[in-house]
Amino acid sequence: MDTTHTEMNKIQYILAALLFLGLYACETQFTPDDSEYEPEVVVEGYIEAGDRPTPPYVILTRSQPYFSELNINNFEELFIHNAEMTVSDGDQTVSLTEICLNDLTPEQQETLAGFLGTSSDSLGLNFCVYTDLTFSMIGQVGKSYELNIETEGEVLEAVTTIPPLSEIDSLIFDPIPDPDNDTLQELTGAFSDPAGTANYYRYFTAVNEEGLLPGLSSVVDDKIFDGQSFEFPIPKAQRRTEEIDPFTYGYFLEGDTVVVKWCAIDQAHFDFWNTLEFNAANQGPFASYTRITSNVDGGLGIWGGYAAKYYEEIVPFD
Amino acid sequence: MKLKNNLFTLFLCMVTGVVFSQNNFTVSGYIKDASTGEDLIEANVYVKEEASKGTTSNIYGFYSLTLPEGQYTLVFSYLGYTDKEVEVNLIEDQRLNVEMGLGIEIEEVVVYADAPDQNVQSTNMGTVEMDIEQIKTLPTLLGEVDIFKAMQLLPGVQSAGEGNSGFYVRGGGPDQNLVLLDEAVVYNTGHLLGFFSVFNPDVVKNTTLIKGSMPANYGGRLSSVVDVQMKEGNNKAYEVEGGVGLIASRLAIQGPIVKDKSSFILSGRRTYAFDLAQPLINNTDAAGTNYYFYDVNGKFNYKFSDKDRLFVSTYWGDDVLNYQTNARDFQLNIPYGNLTTTVRWNHLFNDKLFMNVSAIYNSYDFEVKFSQDQFAAKVVSGIRDWNGKVDFDYFPHPKHEMKFGVNYTHHKLTPQNLSANSGDTEFELAFDPKFAHELGIYIMDDWKISDDLTVNLGFRLSSFTQVGPYTSKIDETEYGKGEPVKTYIGPEPRISAKYSFPDNSSIKGGFAQTNQYLHLVSSSTSTLPSDIWVPSSELIRPQRAQQYALGYFRNFKDNMYETSVEVYYKNLENQIDFQESYVNQPSEDVEDNFVFGKGRSYGVEFFVNKRKGDLTGWIGYTLSRTERTFPDINNGLTYPATYDRRHDLSVVANYKLNDKWNFGAVFVYGTGNAFTPVKSFYFIEGNFVPEYGVRNNARIDAYHRLDLSATLTPKPNKPNKKIDQSWTFSVYNAYNRKNVFFIYYLPETDVSTGTAEIGAYKVSLFPVIPSVTWNFKWKQKPRM
Repeated sequence: MDTTHTEMNKIQYILAALLFLGLYACETQFTPDDSEYEPEVVVEGYIEAGDRPTPPYVILTRSQPYFSELNINNFEELFIHNAEMTVSDGDQTVSLTEICLNDLTPEQQETLAGFLGTSSDSLGLNFCVYTDLTFSMIGQVGKSYELNIETEGEVLEAVTTIPPLSEIDSLIFDPIPDPDNDTLQELTGAFSDPAGTANYYRYFTAVNEEGLLPGLSSVVDDKIFDGQSFEFPIPKAQRRTEEIDPFTYGYFLEGDTVVVKWCAIDQAHFDFWNTLEFNAANQGPFASYTRITSNVDGGLGIWGGYAAKYYEEIVPFD
Repeated sequence: MKLKNNLFTLFLCMVTGVVFSQNNFTVSGYIKDASTGEDLIEANVYVKEEASKGTTSNIYGFYSLTLPEGQYTLVFSYLGYTDKEVEVNLIEDQRLNVEMGLGIEIEEVVVYADAPDQNVQSTNMGTVEMDIEQIKTLPTLLGEVDIFKAMQLLPGVQSAGEGNSGFYVRGGGPDQNLVLLDEAVVYNTGHLLGFFSVFNPDVVKNTTLIKGSMPANYGGRLSSVVDVQMKEGNNKAYEVEGGVGLIASRLAIQGPIVKDKSSFILSGRRTYAFDLAQPLINNTDAAGTNYYFYDVNGKFNYKFSDKDRLFVSTYWGDDVLNYQTNARDFQLNIPYGNLTTTVRWNHLFNDKLFMNVSAIYNSYDFEVKFSQDQFAAKVVSGIRDWNGKVDFDYFPHPKHEMKFGVNYTHHKLTPQNLSANSGDTEFELAFDPKFAHELGIYIMDDWKISDDLTVNLGFRLSSFTQVGPYTSKIDETEYGKGEPVKTYIGPEPRISAKYSFPDNSSIKGGFAQTNQYLHLVSSSTSTLPSDIWVPSSELIRPQRAQQYALGYFRNFKDNMYETSVEVYYKNLENQIDFQESYVNQPSEDVEDNFVFGKGRSYGVEFFVNKRKGDLTGWIGYTLSRTERTFPDINNGLTYPATYDRRHDLSVVANYKLNDKWNFGAVFVYGTGNAFTPVKSFYFIEGNFVPEYGVRNNARIDAYHRLDLSATLTPKPNKPNKKIDQSWTFSVYNAYNRKNVFFIYYLPETDVSTGTAEIGAYKVSLFPVIPSVTWNFKWKQKPRM
């Protein structure tokens, strides 16, 4: 069901696209005014429970003025170093220590990349992350985690919880309707939502050796399907910057090894991705802006807890 | 309370004035077109010897003029018609029905919309009668004549966007315009995302725009009234007219059912651009994709006697989009449209008291259906009204023209209701429809205190009651069917006054308080057909506005030039917007995402209108500011509204070269629209994420455009010809200005070089667009 709202968003583009048919729309690049820019602290931090639980980890960066062209050298300048950071789960408080990829052995780098869900090409950059090197705090379902950061005189706070996860009952691959593409299959999940509670879900997919990527419309709440059992499409995720091919988007290739990561998240965590993805999809004529809802007090970004289940399947040959 | 008391005293004075007046007689009747029998609206009647003694016909062509006993020459005048003079010996009440002939083009025959100095002499401020024949000579977009786009050329009225027929009046939102078609509210006024208005020009008789002091007989919206009357249909002879354009064609048939007693008009318009493209589309994966819109208007009237007439009119129109991607087995179907039906009965009690009773049904429905494989979903929303009205025109005394009446509406508003299925599993997310009663009662008097001073006093009292079935979102109280949930009452004083000077000039001032109980909040930069009307409720208070206006009006050169300067200040309370992180999804009731604030707008409007000669047209310029302040938007700081436009200039010219050729030109210039800039970007999951800056803190480039047109009437004066025909050639955006339609940012990453950057792009929509339309008209020769 998570396609519902993206399909709804599409409607105005389809209407708008019709207008452009036969008329030409002219496009020119321009340089916007950047006088409003002031750097803000950006948190991207997660803690995960479930199949592959993790300690808390946080990437701390600064927001950039729009015109920045980023390359390997100045990319590293995004990272904020030497911040004081703690996470508390009510029972214990741990300090997060900064580690950068360049400081690690190749094996450690692989492990860290695994955590971050980033693809291996990011490893060329000197990625820095704050984490609990003692592994004394690992994500647990039902717990609440408070993040506190102090850096360069700024104080940031955020709280996230890890809600219990309802698992997908089964995953089904089917041939797609287009007879011209007979090596592609679409993925459907069968799912039962628990009745009476507000649930929020997020999904990622990975193919073969590539890293996990979130779906373009990766989150959904259960307002529409609370307590129901049903099947829903799981489109293959792709990078947001990659163009959507209307004929092949969301389909898997026969023989591919597919990993689906299925997560429960809390409401604030959902709101962040929901506003972020809506804003990304809702660009173009008639579109207004959507301010992205952060759960970080004093900064931007997300401090998110996941309860996650991983499913690995090979796309069958038809 | 003080204001109310004063008003009461004033009404008392008027009534006493009526009682003591003696030896006055009334001449009354209907003013009609001699060749078609159409009622002429706002035609002028005045005493030739003393032009200040006069009146205008109402929307049914009825006039009533009470004068002291005596001998008079009455002058009847109306745009495009020859003035008619009638000698009257007023020794008793008289019925005088007048038929006016079209102006024959002899030199010195003056043709205009209203009395030559109506602009200066009436108490109306910011009221404009749109002349449909003049509009038809203006340049068009893709050949479609559009009343709303012509209206946007007046000072104080702004276009809602490139090529859009939607409009903003004096800093008010798009939902703050009351658009009426034969008294029925039209909720969705645009086809194709607002690029064309729903009014087919061939059936429109009269359009009045009121942007200033709204008279008390109108209510329910804050900013303006657009009152559109459909033609009644020729009751003397049959007529067929139509046109063939690039994207649409029109046909209208009218004629008598019983000569001079009953007539009808029926018209239709439909687009066919995509029908013609079907062979191309069918060769693609999108085979089956189509889009069209159509309008159907029909009207019937029957005259039982001079005292009783019946009118039945209806309009329906839809946009239909079908979109398919066959490779994905994806189908999308979006139909939406309005339906209005009005039944009216006119009754004349006596020479001084005219009544109209109306029963009106109107609705707007929007639907989206899509399906892909085993998944299907449907979202519906809409609004439905039943409306009853009784309006009186009362002409008690030469110095008083009164109107009073009552208007009741039952509303049913359906928020977005989603139903979906995945295979056999059904999903249903239906928000209950909301029900409400809306009531307005009003009284107003146009009081000529002296030859120089006229005051229009009005008072409207409106109320709105949300009723059950409903479950309170505040305390979960259950309300049964019809049970009141929340009632709002709004007093709405309306006052305007005119003082004239001997040099053909006058000064006018006005105040109007208005309430609005239905709201349309758009999350986009323009209104879209999917936007949802929501009623005032226990959660949503009515919008309210006070408008103050002051103007100086002066005509020159025997009324050849009309000029005016108007200043206005408008205060807006309980304004509504979406919260800044609103995500449009059908699983949420839109009203749960509203935030509330206030606004104000002020400005000055300059207008010079040349009304006579071969070259006619106007220049309108508006300097204005429009602001909003919402505690939950922009950290509570005041920001410019989306409709804020500092400078707005329109130049309209029409040149009649000879009987064959007529040329039109329109130039518009406006400050660029406000938008919310991105102030910075940050990285999340390796993607750029925008952080938006201060709301509406940036502007796109200034908008300007020149349109040209030429109308050719090949055989203008050939006698006994069967068909009149003309060709209209139009060029939209003649110098190909690349006006910015929207901007967007595109993050781009280059993995090979390990670089990333963000591009900012401006997109413009309409280049230079030529078009041609062929119009024809066949008219049966009237039998004598």
